[in-house]
Amino acid sequence: MKEIDEKDLKKRDIDDLTHLFMDNINEQNLKLIEGIEYLIEEDFTNFEDNMNYVIETNTEVLIKKTFESKIFKSKLMFSKADRLNLFTKINDIKNIGEFLANKMLLYRAVFPDQKFKTRILTILKSLKIISNHLSSAVKLIGSNLSEARDICEEIKEERRKMRNEEWQLLNRLYNYDMDYLSRTFLYLKELIEGIMILADHIKNFSEYIQFLATKYLIFD
Amino acid sequence: MVDQITAILVIVLVIMAIALAFSIGANDETLSALIGAGVLKFKIALLIGGVAIGGGMILFSGGFVAKTVGSDILGESIQYTIYMLLTVLISSIIWLVVGSFAGIPLSSTHALIGSVFGVIIMYAISQGGVNPDTALNWNKLSNVVLSWFISPIFGLLITYVLFKLVAKFYLSRLRGLNQIERSEKNFKWLLLVAVIFAEIWVGANSGEALGILYGLLDNGSLNIAQYFIFTVFCGIFACIGIYFAARYVIRNLASQMIDSRPSEGLIIQISSAIILMIATLFGLPISHSHVIVFCIIGLSLAQKKELDLRGLGKMGIYWILTFPIAAIMAGFIYFGFISFGLY
Repeated sequence: MKEIDEKDLKKRDIDDLTHLFMDNINEQNLKLIEGIEYLIEEDFTNFEDNMNYVIETNTEVLIKKTFESKIFKSKLMFSKADRLNLFTKINDIKNIGEFLANKMLLYRAVFPDQKFKTRILTILKSLKIISNHLSSAVKLIGSNLSEARDICEEIKEERRKMRNEEWQLLNRLYNYDMDYLSRTFLYLKELIEGIMILADHIKNFSEYIQFLATKYLIFD
Repeated sequence: MVDQITAILVIVLVIMAIALAFSIGANDETLSALIGAGVLKFKIALLIGGVAIGGGMILFSGGFVAKTVGSDILGESIQYTIYMLLTVLISSIIWLVVGSFAGIPLSSTHALIGSVFGVIIMYAISQGGVNPDTALNWNKLSNVVLSWFISPIFGLLITYVLFKLVAKFYLSRLRGLNQIERSEKNFKWLLLVAVIFAEIWVGANSGEALGILYGLLDNGSLNIAQYFIFTVFCGIFACIGIYFAARYVIRNLASQMIDSRPSEGLIIQISSAIILMIATLFGLPISHSHVIVFCIIGLSLAQKKELDLRGLGKMGIYWILTFPIAAIMAGFIYFGFISFGLY
């Protein structure tokens, strides 16, 4: 992540700050996904590095502070409340990601079999897609709400696929011949649920962007 | 003694007319769109709105709506007496207070004209020799009543068409939030002009205050110089009403409009101002609040938004009832005066 200069931040407008914040959070999301991929490969060193990166990175705090002070002072903006809401929703992604990263560091699980790994990799791939899509959609709000709305539709579709994948994964997990109270079982269950919480938030966020498009776009 | 009582009552009526002008300013909601859009600082906006409404009142006091209410609505052989004007004011105020308790925005114009109707009919009946058919200028009265139905409908239509045109040729071409925001910033300045324009016509169409004064001028209780001075007082008090009393209503409404679009406010204000201007130039006192409500309905229809039909129905019933109830109430009050020989 490129270092962020405080002076540079102050020169940026609200739209720029939102984009920068989104990039920052998306980058941390991708690091989280990559970290889980390392875990699947049983590369625990890189896994820990990535998780710690997500937990320890706090450049977004500076962006958030600058944004909040700018939006508070800004006037003549009828979309002020919506822009603030947008920013808060981006910040929530970070909170969910950080929570998941902390949880994942509690234990080092070895995945039961290749099929399970493949399925987890499939939902991670989808998570990467929707995370990147969301980043693009947020950046398009300022310039093309209609296109942002279409991208959000793709996010919802991808999330639907993830949901099917999640049920199959959980089904597989519950049918393994292992002690239901084992740490591995609990860990894997928490991992799947954590990924889906993040995906659900991205889906809800995309619906909010669609709401904004409906609110602001006027059709003849 | 009688002359002294009459003089006191004239002073009371003048004070009440000025108080009515103050209440017109105090009940102003037009500025809320401007404050909500954050175009000007609060106090500056109040001052500009106050000057506009007061200016409109003074500029158009020489005839138009004031003349209709104060003279033209009566039959050729009829002039207001002091007690008639007092009755008109008392009856209007009672009905408006009832409306306030019921939480319904009633039209003071409808209440006033209804009261005039009730008083004149009671006068004609009680006098015996006065024919109710000639006691009122039925042609003028029917035009006034007709304008109450036509003006909101035209307000709705103008808003609908105006929004459709602006949407087709401009608003629908805006793609992103930044572009929309920039465009709305420009609309804010147009909104300022529209609100000033609207406030001038709100003042000009305020038949309640000026009509009473014109009635006093018409029956010789005031001379032209006194009439003009009191008209200026009305304008000043309408301005004071906005500046000191309307600020709470305006601030409250404005806080609910923070994320409303100035372009929408502009269309509503222009439509209502056009209706008020036409009505004023024809000397027809109409209800500003009715016009605004229908303009908002027009905008909602153009945007295919859902309407609160139950709420509108309730409001409609009160609107229709205002005229007959004010008339009946004024008739009874005036009958009370007549019973004591006070015509």
